[in-house]
Amino acid sequence: MLEVKADLEGLMRRSLAGDKAAYTELLRETARLLRPFLTRRLSSDSEAQDVLQEILISIHKARHTYDGKRPYQPWVYAIAKFRLQDHLRAHYADQLRHAEDISDMEDILREDVTESTISYESIKGEILKLPAKQAAILQLMHQEGYTSSEVAAKLGMTESAVKVAAHRAYKVLRQKLER
Amino acid sequence: MKDLEQLVTELADDLSTVKPAPNPYLLTFKLVGAATIYLAVSLAISGVRPDWIQAIGRPWFAAEIVMLLSIIGAGLLSAALLSFPDLYQKRALVLGPLWACILFLVVIVMAWHADSPPAALPQHSIECTICIALLGLLPAGGMFFIMRRFASTHYQWAGGVVMLSAFSIGALWLRLEEPNDSIAHVIEWHYLPMLAIGFLGLWIGKRMLRW
Repeated sequence: MLEVKADLEGLMRRSLAGDKAAYTELLRETARLLRPFLTRRLSSDSEAQDVLQEILISIHKARHTYDGKRPYQPWVYAIAKFRLQDHLRAHYADQLRHAEDISDMEDILREDVTESTISYESIKGEILKLPAKQAAILQLMHQEGYTSSEVAAKLGMTESAVKVAAHRAYKVLRQKLER
Repeated sequence: MKDLEQLVTELADDLSTVKPAPNPYLLTFKLVGAATIYLAVSLAISGVRPDWIQAIGRPWFAAEIVMLLSIIGAGLLSAALLSFPDLYQKRALVLGPLWACILFLVVIVMAWHADSPPAALPQHSIECTICIALLGLLPAGGMFFIMRRFASTHYQWAGGVVMLSAFSIGALWLRLEEPNDSIAHVIEWHYLPMLAIGFLGLWIGKRMLRW
């Protein structure tokens, strides 16, 4: 272990002097060092791989802040923890946004999504700019008069998924029309 | 995301010699030097309070000045250490401004108790806060500019420390410039805003020091 540490510091010093081979070796060794640290803290290997790559990029950006006289591992772990926290923060923020969407959906799922005070023809232009699936759902519901369960059967989706997609489409349309 | 091996190759190809970051103690020394010059020039322009010799002879006033100097010194050292991802492996020193602030609050509370009968309140109020803010802006901007060149992994704490030290310079300048001995006024219009700005720095740091 001590030998590995000393080696990493030597590799970093050579890297800072511009030795590309030493730098390649250092990054590989660092990746090997950090992989177990990340896999223990993240749910999937691919997620750990993504964060590992972000950490290597951060090491590259911050390499001028490494002091050759000090141990390498505390420096590299500080960057790794920082990037991991950043990643987890973004991940949980995403989950929270998603959770808010779902709570919105709980009310929407009970509503009749085909009911609308705006005619299909008046907003056809905007509907066609929506993603293909959302546009198809609105077209089937509002132009052709299908119910959400019929649209679901026709498009091979669940009824809830149709309602959710319709709700999202309405949200986008409302924002566009309110502008 | 790319393949890890490909990324390693790309980073290695991009390797160039970079100017190493200065030793944080040297950086602190430079920051303290710059702060001293800034304070001296500001006082030379505005003038020192006429009764400064008598004022400095009063123990609570002297303690207040010493504590302000401690906040500035500890803040600048902390800011320099916080510029490094691993805090230069000197975590205890980074907490210096926190201890300095606690001691400062103790000194202020004692000075307040000692202010009996209370000194007369000056006519002005928020003008002091504005002066401190104006004087603190340049050091704060300069420190953020310097710190952005490094790689802070504690950007909120770093932002707080930068704002606190910069505005402490403003508060120290005003204390040495204004012939005012009302501790109630000083707490309300000098030190509470200074500490509040330190908290605001947590938010500013998050925006200014991300990398």
